[in-house]
Amino acid sequence: MEMFLMAAVMSVLGVAVCAALFAAATRGEHVEASRPAEQPALAARRFFASAPDAAPAGEPVAIGAQRELVPVEALMLQIEQHIRLEQAAAESFLHTPTEQSLHSRTASPLVN
Amino acid sequence: MTTVRPDLLVGLAEEQASRVLELGSHTTLSAGDVLFNLGDAANSLFVVERGRVALTLPMKVRGKEQDVLIEERAAGQTVGWSALVPPHRFTLKAAALVDSEVVALPRTALSEHLSAHPAVGYLVARNVSAVVGQRLQVFQTMWLREMERVVELSRA
Repeated sequence: MEMFLMAAVMSVLGVAVCAALFAAATRGEHVEASRPAEQPALAARRFFASAPDAAPAGEPVAIGAQRELVPVEALMLQIEQHIRLEQAAAESFLHTPTEQSLHSRTASPLVN
Repeated sequence: MTTVRPDLLVGLAEEQASRVLELGSHTTLSAGDVLFNLGDAANSLFVVERGRVALTLPMKVRGKEQDVLIEERAAGQTVGWSALVPPHRFTLKAAALVDSEVVALPRTALSEHLSAHPAVGYLVARNVSAVVGQRLQVFQTMWLREMERVVELSRA
């Protein structure tokens, strides 16, 4: 009887030790698993942080900051192209006034 | 002179159109030459005979003013209808995109001629209305489309 109780206590202790070790081991895996996912985002932020007007590292990068990288001459060409396309779309609507032509999308780089 | 009947003179008899154009003087522009600036007194109305004229407005881009194209006018089209509409100030800047030639019709001489010839005055006024009305409708449509995008972006 004593032997049986001793074996039972040892088994319970063994199971408890195993459970504790398992829990400790899996907690470590969660931490390790979460790190690789963060690394690319941090790397990307550091890349944009090199631009003069970019947001500080660790903060989301605004679209405006990325557009700052476009030379003003290129931006002016995009604006001009946008106006021409929008004007053509407006004239097309006036030629054939339908709701579809009023809301038609152009290939303008500023709206796509 | 262009063979295209200027939009300003549509509906006029050949002789009536010639008499209106005789009021003006021919001006040659090199590419980049400014015909008039925003806010200038609109003392003349221009008919493009040859080339292309860009109508622009100053837009602030990255804190700096840049001329942004609003419209382009080619041979046979009228530029500067502000000369016929009070307060006679240009609301755009006009510059030649390429080497161009225009007929400049002085506002005073044109007004006097149109007053003296009401039939011609009516047709010219109708043609100017068509130019103004077309631009209004185009910009009204463009404004609506841009407003839709502003609303879309504000809700995103």
